[in-house]
Amino acid sequence: MHSSLVRIQNAFGFFTTVAFVVAALIAGTDFLAPRTPSVGVLKPTNVQVVRGRPHYYSSKKEEYAIIRFSLDADLSSLFTWNTKQLFVYVTAEWPAASASSGSGANATNQAVIWDSIITSPSADHLANLGPIAKKKLIRSAKGKSIDPSRGILSLKNQRPKYQITHPSGKIAEREDVVLRLHYNVQPWVGLLTWNRDADIGRWKTLRDNVSKKFSFPAVKKKE
Amino acid sequence: MFSSLQNPRQAAAQLLNFGLILSTAFMMWKGLSVVTDSPSPIVVVLSGSMEPAFQRGDLLLLWNRNLFEETNVGEVVVYNVKGKDIPIVHRIVRKFGSGPDAKLLTKGDNNAADDTELYARGQDYLTRKDIVGSVVAYMPFVGYVTIMLSEHPWLKTVMLGIMGLVVVLQRE
Repeated sequence: MHSSLVRIQNAFGFFTTVAFVVAALIAGTDFLAPRTPSVGVLKPTNVQVVRGRPHYYSSKKEEYAIIRFSLDADLSSLFTWNTKQLFVYVTAEWPAASASSGSGANATNQAVIWDSIITSPSADHLANLGPIAKKKLIRSAKGKSIDPSRGILSLKNQRPKYQITHPSGKIAEREDVVLRLHYNVQPWVGLLTWNRDADIGRWKTLRDNVSKKFSFPAVKKKE
Repeated sequence: MFSSLQNPRQAAAQLLNFGLILSTAFMMWKGLSVVTDSPSPIVVVLSGSMEPAFQRGDLLLLWNRNLFEETNVGEVVVYNVKGKDIPIVHRIVRKFGSGPDAKLLTKGDNNAADDTELYARGQDYLTRKDIVGSVVAYMPFVGYVTIMLSEHPWLKTVMLGIMGLVVVLQRE
């Protein structure tokens, strides 16, 4: 009845039960922390369309949109003790060429133009940075396990990380384009959460995260 | 163990018990599969392409139903590529069109380039049916055991050896 195997089994079983219960409790605290993210400014500042090749050896020419933008947002309330990283991304959305009833919500073309990984100080050691940049990042939050100030974004005329195109290769002179800010909270344990269109409990929705409509210009001529 | 050889009733009960544990685990796994509509609802992260969000050995819970909305840009999905048997966990960064035929492009957060290179020859985009599920929950480290076992096969032998030894040495 009380052989060593049974003892080991019981100890291991109890350990896993406790570990899972503690993990579930930690994950549950996410719902207790209020989230009140807000957006001040989100607007395109300079939009260009150029022709280029998808990669060096391709003979195909495609049109690429380069959207510079400005962004002011306060996402500091998303940082809690269970936040591992915040993934912030800006998408450009535009309706299909045929359907003209395009509002941002029914957009059928969506592409990320810029994204950023904001690690919590507790996850700084995991960040994919060079040794100097990483040391700087770790030093910037010395002694703090949560650093909400990292959630305050202020970008002026930011260059996009990704030049976007469409499978058809045509993107110039498309209308009703909007930029939209999204976030994804990655926890240490628990549920991954994205911005939602409605309030959920203590989590307020992200308002004003859509820019005014604009159009892609014609292809830029070479001088 | 030796003592149970003299008692066939006890041996049979032990065998049944063992079978019960195995079938319960199998049913729970398949039940979860039905609930999430995903062929493998729990996956272990094998690469570092989504760091710092996911490390090797982390456990992900997937959900593959579109109850309220379609699979959208920004979701982290697990997908299969024709001709490759290792599923990949990456984030959707572009979506053209809607419905089951929407063209999806994925990219690992930690990678510089998107996944076009990882797809099958001549394939530029994924569609919804390539996706095994979207990541909804995360649990660190737990899956590392499976990575250890598959990368160091001698560990399996050692574990089996220890178990056998315990069974033989044990006196009931």
